Amino acid sequence: MKHDINRNILIAADESDNSKRAVQYVANLLGGVKGFKVTVLHVIREPEEDFFPAEAEKEKWYQDYGRKADLMLEEYRRMLVDAGFDSEDVSTRSTVRYCPSMAECILAERDNLEYGTLVVGRKGLTHKEEFLFGSISGKIVRTARNCTIWVVE
Amino acid sequence: MHLTDAFRPKYWNACMSEDFSQELLHQLALPWLTSQRPGHRFNIFTDTGDFYRIEYGDIVILNNVPYLVRHNAKEGRFGLDDEVKFWVKRAIDLKTGKTKVIKLVFYEKFLARVGGIEFECFRSPRKEARILNLVGDHANFMHGFSVPDDKGNIVRIIDLIYGKTLADHVRDTASGMDHETYFYRHFPEILENFIECVEAIRFLHEHGEKHGDVRRDHILADRDTGRCRWIDFDYNFRHRENMYGYDMFGLGNVFMYLVGRGDVLIADIKKANVSAVSQLSDEDMNIVFNNRVANLKKIYPHIPESLNRILMHFSRGANIFYDNTIQLLDDLREFRSDFFREARRNVK
Repeated sequence: MKHDINRNILIAADESDNSKRAVQYVANLLGGVKGFKVTVLHVIREPEEDFFPAEAEKEKWYQDYGRKADLMLEEYRRMLVDAGFDSEDVSTRSTVRYCPSMAECILAERDNLEYGTLVVGRKGLTHKEEFLFGSISGKIVRTARNCTIWVVE
Repeated sequence: MHLTDAFRPKYWNACMSEDFSQELLHQLALPWLTSQRPGHRFNIFTDTGDFYRIEYGDIVILNNVPYLVRHNAKEGRFGLDDEVKFWVKRAIDLKTGKTKVIKLVFYEKFLARVGGIEFECFRSPRKEARILNLVGDHANFMHGFSVPDDKGNIVRIIDLIYGKTLADHVRDTASGMDHETYFYRHFPEILENFIECVEAIRFLHEHGEKHGDVRRDHILADRDTGRCRWIDFDYNFRHRENMYGYDMFGLGNVFMYLVGRGDVLIADIKKANVSAVSQLSDEDMNIVFNNRVANLKKIYPHIPESLNRILMHFSRGANIFYDNTIQLLDDLREFRSDFFREARRNVK
């Protein structure tokens, strides 16, 4: 199906090495090439209410995690700028979402923000890990519509 | 056993005033404590936080209902027979005389390890309370309600289910029977029960809840209703992509057990000198438990291909997995429609 091509790239990332590789890949491939805008997205999975015995622990978790996420996104932004992206073409976004499926949350963000390309890292799960817990990149590849997916290993 | 009519008004007055005197408690508990020392004083708990202190013969008062604690629950798991669960008490509701299971608050977080994979698990009284409320009187779940104690601990009061675990039921049913006889004579009914159990898990998933600890000893075959019922909903874990993947894994293991009339272990079939053992490959084994056979048709050739295909979704050789209960139910029903006709023909 024909769809509009835009030069907006969304990198869905977390703190894993495979996410870092995905950011580095985009930096190496497109750094210095004009016309591309990149957003690094980190979806913070809202922990289920059951996870915390008390509200105070929940608040602390959000604060600690939020700080960690900010540092991580700043590191990724810096990698892209250092590779030649103009700093105004690189943005970061973190959002807290209730995510029964992380893949669906990432795709919903992509739909909202209208990015033509979505980049994700692949963790390289074993067969049984994929069976037990599912694969985010696998599900994105299977279910994404109207966009291009880059899976970076 | 129920309170006598003569005694009930006095009881209700006590409830209204929240005043359970030692004398009143003695009278209420008399049918269950026949050999009390003269002058015995009950320990009364309205704060259940320190559950180790609550022992046999103590009274827990929740929402103005006194419960007489009988004993701690036990559970056999991971080879530890009769592990005492101090936070789960069997007790008598002194208002109705009915036996209840009282689950007190026990928060624990730990790394579970399944087939070499670690994941973060935690026990959640809130989750169990929510699911009890959700399932109401659904025939395929345990029933109960939650009530906060004086300190806000979420205590679950659960109706006792009389009956064996599904695993014990299958083991006893199939005892001394060859597999083919079990398969055609008893498996159709067990399959019906299993389909109901999967439907029940689907109900949870459709409401955004996971069971969290799907295993065969968490299904009880209720002696009174004849239905299979899921118990114990307080486990939870941080899921990754597929929120329900671990429940699906559990369902696969339960089903494999039911079809095989027990776990079909490599060591056992080698010991029994079953010729098919030489035909088994890695791909025929359970995807997580490498010593269990998933490709049961190689061991029991009378198992229909359409059934074996379902089992193979849980094997190391699987290329696709069930993402959800709907997919599994579709395949189970398709198999069932053919199998029932065949089973009728094959009953000896």
